[in-house]
Amino acid sequence: MKEITTPDFTEAIGNANEINELLRRYGVKFGIYKNGEFREQFFPFDPIPRVIDAEQFADIEKGLIQRVDALNSFLYDIYHDKKIVRDGIIPEDFIYISSGYLAQCEGITPKNKIYSHISGIDLVQGKDGEWYILEDNLRIPSGASYPLIARELTRIASPDAFRKNNIVDNRNYADLLRETMEYVNCGGVRAILTPGRYNAAYFEHSYLAEHTGSILVRSDELFVENNILWHKTYSGEKTRIGVLYRRISDEYLDPLTFLPESLIGIPNLMEAYRSGNVGIINAPGNGVADDKGIYYFVPKMIKYYLGEEPILKNAPTYLPFYEDDRKYVIDNLSRLVIKDVAEAGGYGVVFGSDLTAEKLGDLKDMILSQPRRFIAQEVIDFLDLPILDEGETVMRKADLRAFVLSGETTRVWASGLTRFSRNPDSFVVNSSQGGGFKDTWVRSL
Amino acid sequence: MGTISLEHSDCLYWLGRYTERVFTTLKALQETYDNMLDKNIGYEEYLGYFDLPDNYDNSGEFLRSFLFDKGNFSSVAYSLERAYDNGIVLREDISTEAFSFLQVAKDTLKNAENAKNTRFALLPLEDVLYGFWGCIADNIYDEEIKNIIYCGKSTERLDLYLRMKYPYDEVNKEFERLCIRLHRVPKNTPYRYNTKFLSDLVEIIGEENEYDLNSGKAVSSLERLFESA
Amino acid sequence: MKRIDFYFSTKLTFDDYVHEHSFALRVIPPETRTQHIVNCELSISPITAVNQTVDAFGNNVTAGYIKGDHRFLDFEIRGTAETYCSRHNTDYMPCYLYQSHFTKPSDELKALYEQAAAVLQTENVSDKVAHFSEVLSNNFTYQKNVTTAHTTAAEAFAAGAGVCQDFSHIMLSLLRMDGIPCRYIAGLAFCDGETHAWVEYFEDGCWKGFDPANNCPVNEDYLVLSQGRDFDDCAIDRGVMFGSYTRQLQLVRSVMKAG
Repeated sequence: MKEITTPDFTEAIGNANEINELLRRYGVKFGIYKNGEFREQFFPFDPIPRVIDAEQFADIEKGLIQRVDALNSFLYDIYHDKKIVRDGIIPEDFIYISSGYLAQCEGITPKNKIYSHISGIDLVQGKDGEWYILEDNLRIPSGASYPLIARELTRIASPDAFRKNNIVDNRNYADLLRETMEYVNCGGVRAILTPGRYNAAYFEHSYLAEHTGSILVRSDELFVENNILWHKTYSGEKTRIGVLYRRISDEYLDPLTFLPESLIGIPNLMEAYRSGNVGIINAPGNGVADDKGIYYFVPKMIKYYLGEEPILKNAPTYLPFYEDDRKYVIDNLSRLVIKDVAEAGGYGVVFGSDLTAEKLGDLKDMILSQPRRFIAQEVIDFLDLPILDEGETVMRKADLRAFVLSGETTRVWASGLTRFSRNPDSFVVNSSQGGGFKDTWVRSL
Repeated sequence: MGTISLEHSDCLYWLGRYTERVFTTLKALQETYDNMLDKNIGYEEYLGYFDLPDNYDNSGEFLRSFLFDKGNFSSVAYSLERAYDNGIVLREDISTEAFSFLQVAKDTLKNAENAKNTRFALLPLEDVLYGFWGCIADNIYDEEIKNIIYCGKSTERLDLYLRMKYPYDEVNKEFERLCIRLHRVPKNTPYRYNTKFLSDLVEIIGEENEYDLNSGKAVSSLERLFESA
Repeated sequence: MKRIDFYFSTKLTFDDYVHEHSFALRVIPPETRTQHIVNCELSISPITAVNQTVDAFGNNVTAGYIKGDHRFLDFEIRGTAETYCSRHNTDYMPCYLYQSHFTKPSDELKALYEQAAAVLQTENVSDKVAHFSEVLSNNFTYQKNVTTAHTTAAEAFAAGAGVCQDFSHIMLSLLRMDGIPCRYIAGLAFCDGETHAWVEYFEDGCWKGFDPANNCPVNEDYLVLSQGRDFDDCAIDRGVMFGSYTRQLQLVRSVMKAG
């Protein structure tokens, strides 16, 4: 057994420019729109890795498997018997006002009952050392390709660190993904569906297609005939697709079932899916389980479906819908984070401490009149991570997106996407807001 | 494999054409540059091959435009951008490694723009392009995919050789290479040759006399080589 | 029980050739407790292979794909059914209690509801439904060509007039504001030469029909083709096709007669 010490990053820091240069060379980019113009940006890489020790990761791993298993049980339940609602664990309203709930998916049983094949669970580590779940992403979580390709390069840049530290090799992601896809393959080739090269995550779509041996397709290359999904080939023949890892969102997926105006969907895909002729990764309708309002109930789901105590904690969350919570929220509004359940993305998130007395009053009135619309959370004191900023090491906020793959068994990828904020005052670690990413080293015993 | 979509087949073909256009244009410009050492202008012949107007005050301006100006559709920089645009949607067909050479080529060309000695600075660009083709040869197992790229490459080279009135032997060799590739294209696919225009080409390029007289007709037959019958 | 012969046809014509045409039809009436389909034949032209599935709301979906060039799509159903007014369906879905795309109330609709609810004298659901329908017919006029298939309840109410689809959407909006689960029904009725729309509300564990456009309860003269939260779930035909057509023309005809 090698000795567990704090790794030495000098080597990695010395090679930071070379790594970024190679990432550029391999086209590790994400696209953004600004004022109607499309630009491709390189995703800045920080050479100082996040290191997670073996024991700590074992806990995270157990907790994530437990959480994702419960979420998959929940999704099956909601689209079938709805026992959790009937048993009064989750109030009905929270399910059916959620925009992620798709009544069109009622009664569909995806192959092997898996709904969330690829789950991106966002965590942060508090200053108390405890890991907290910030958000579940069960629709089309992106980002796995970045640490995957970066690891190739950090192993070149820091051979000594890898020699000395027993770092779990994370370059198995494509294999995990391929196995996950195969487990729900209904007979045919594997395909990754992309909206096209102007999508923010196009690099990832094409990289994962290359490394899983899947074909990368756009919807206009596909059609459904006899309830089977086909790929049109250039010779006029057709190839059957058995599993579709789609990177477009539910509402655009099938213009004959969802938004009729969708130009990037595949007509009658849902009929092929309902007939069990094609696997769709992740299942349509998963949005009901990663809704901000449902987040509060995930620990309860774990108890309800698995009969276990949750291993990983939620950030302390309050639902003004419940009288006790409402009182607490109103009394402590100035130090809580308020999230608007109805709003998507980061827009409906307000820090009470940023508001004037007048604005706080307005918010209180809104919460009292529409209690179901909001959730409130304690502000977690993040453990900052070191990043290299113009040669200096500075401390910044960072989160970790862990990837959990559900196939024959539920597995956690021994890595993840660590994103950080460049701005010292910002809690937002979104890549479109100028943040970067790090390699995430999980150490084995 | 049989899973090449129509769009991908077009991108493969044009990836071959534009990458080759970068290479042959680069070579031709270097020769023109060399000519200009002994003459005042020396680039009018080059413009003449492509029926392009002379909008340039001096040979330096001509060279900068044809090497680096992305707004000039006949420039190396423009062709390289188009090659990159086609390559980016083909990552899973041609490999990340092959695609990365196009990014390196763009970076190398950009560096050369500001270099003291442009020709020296452009030498690595040729190496990068050879690297790209090596990667294509080595990393693509699907012969059908590879062959579409090569058809594009050969078509482009032949087109440029014809326009720039390359010596008969070189044109003929390149045409023979194209023919081998054309015969590998499966029937009922978009890059299957049109029999009429191929026989026109055989007639013209098959005979040195014909070639000297009819290279213009050869260019237009080549343009229509993939028209459906 | 009433025995009825039904016929329904749609002719969809394009002003230029279309191809790669995918469609999903909801025209084959479902077999339920309230209607027994003795026989039903569906014919589609151009002739094409189709597949049958049942969607989340219990509707028969006929999906098809026409690859080659064509300028029209015709389909018709012809059959015999027995309808039973004394029986009721019980296939409940919780989503029927919540407002959907077409039924989201505007401030005007909320005001209409408040006004109607203020004078409610009853807790009985069927009586409430009759009352809301009465209020609706006093505030909304039946008139064609004011609204389209895409008009929401709020938009139709603002326009002041519409057809059976609009009556039904506004009715659903009012009932859902009152906490009464209800659903949209697309079907055929004796009074109509096209398709008709009405609503069903859930009371004492079963569905009951009400026709807001005619302000009367549903009887054995109505045949259900499809049901759902609103028009979106029930569209008789939806399609996506390629081609350079600029206009499409749809002719619809239905006949119902006592069998």
